[in-house]
Amino acid sequence: MQPMPMRMKLAVVLTGAGLLCGAASAAAHHAFAAEFDAKKPLRLQGTVARMEWINPHTWIHLDVKKADGKVERWMIEGGPPNALYRRGFTKDSLPVGAQIIVEGFRAKDGSMRGNGRDITFADGRKLFLGSSGTGAPNERPNTPAR
Amino acid sequence: MQRLYVVCVGALASAILFAWLLPATTAAQNPAPAGSKETANAWTPSRTPWGDPDLQGVWRYEATMPLERPQALAGKATLTDEEVARRDALEKEQEAKRLAGVEGVDVGRQPLSQSPIRGNEYNSFWQDQGRPRKVYNRTALIVEPPDGRLPFTPDAQKAEARSAARYGVGPYESYLDPDTGERCLTDGVTALMWQGPNGGHNRIVQSPGYVTILHEEYRDRRIIPVDGRPHGSIRQWFGDAVARWDGNTLVIDTINFADKTHYEWANIWTRPSETLHLMERFTRTDADTIEYEITVEDPTTFSKPWKAVIPITKLPGKTEIYEYACHEGNYAMANLLSGARAERGGR
Repeated sequence: MQPMPMRMKLAVVLTGAGLLCGAASAAAHHAFAAEFDAKKPLRLQGTVARMEWINPHTWIHLDVKKADGKVERWMIEGGPPNALYRRGFTKDSLPVGAQIIVEGFRAKDGSMRGNGRDITFADGRKLFLGSSGTGAPNERPNTPAR
Repeated sequence: MQRLYVVCVGALASAILFAWLLPATTAAQNPAPAGSKETANAWTPSRTPWGDPDLQGVWRYEATMPLERPQALAGKATLTDEEVARRDALEKEQEAKRLAGVEGVDVGRQPLSQSPIRGNEYNSFWQDQGRPRKVYNRTALIVEPPDGRLPFTPDAQKAEARSAARYGVGPYESYLDPDTGERCLTDGVTALMWQGPNGGHNRIVQSPGYVTILHEEYRDRRIIPVDGRPHGSIRQWFGDAVARWDGNTLVIDTINFADKTHYEWANIWTRPSETLHLMERFTRTDADTIEYEITVEDPTTFSKPWKAVIPITKLPGKTEIYEYACHEGNYAMANLLSGARAERGGR
């Protein structure tokens, strides 16, 4: 029998690889690589101008003030409306004027569009507080493939 | 998209299980036969007012079994109770770390600067992961052939490899190039019954002489006669389905699929051949479970028939399905074509 540390290390590495793949692919509507560029990570802080509740993905329109005072309007891709609603997310959850921080990736064509891989309120609050709709007792982000 | 799902869920299962099995591979072998049914027909369903077994409700696949058995688990159809418990403990530990904001390969979430380009980790933040998953000890949904693998013909295997290589990469010269999910069309006739979060909500509605399956994602719907009529002669993407009752089991027999084999989309259901013959069996095995069994024959694609047994779960009575209206906001289509042009240096 191999020593435990070795086994655990391998388990961790391999499982991590599996989780990445699984969490990634189980439900994506479209392929990330086709639309966004992994070599262009984004970090934006701005004010929600509006949110489009449309399928297959919501889009958050975000005003971002640059260092020179000019404001740029970005579009950030979010989750599907139906999924958001089932997680307890409503139109009041991300109201116009909310200050948020977006981490994600920029569009391949260089336009001011990106995806929102992680979003928090600027004061540090998390976007998702819990889950509902289907009876889920807990928020379960990044759960392994189902 | 089903193909990627299968590959990746397989990778997950194989990664976790390979790691566990390292210390005692031989001892962990389980002789349980592949394809053994666990609970079929152990429960008597209620009836509709007109006397048919009642399958109505909103259903979803809530397990983690991949369609194909991972290579690392070749010959191992089921897990022991100890292995299942160990997997659950590991998953719970990782989940707790992720909820605590830990990043890194050991929790399956890379820092932004290291995220893989071909994965869709970017989307996981938003997904509706649903309820706590159902635990089963099987290592694949496929029960025949016994190896739990799709028995592709050599040509079909090559087509699969081409499809896998181009997913998310292109070329994207036209709106025809993205797969059917990205085009807001469909994920195919069976895939929607058991895909995971972000889809997979299906409402079954019965009326005298018909069963209707409404899939939330893509607003697909199948209106299937259960009145003894023979097959028609019109070829359609979802084929021509007729159904009958076999005891408490709904049996749907589908032929006359339209030929879509010239496309290199990502999913075998979205590019069927004219020789595809699909048999589906829906058996309610308890109040909250339908055993959904599919048997697939298609000499164009597969060297022999294969069968999968898929448990799907009834969601609470208050669960609704909603409209999808996918084209309304499918900015992704324009964005991915624009991205492809930018990569080529044009506009």
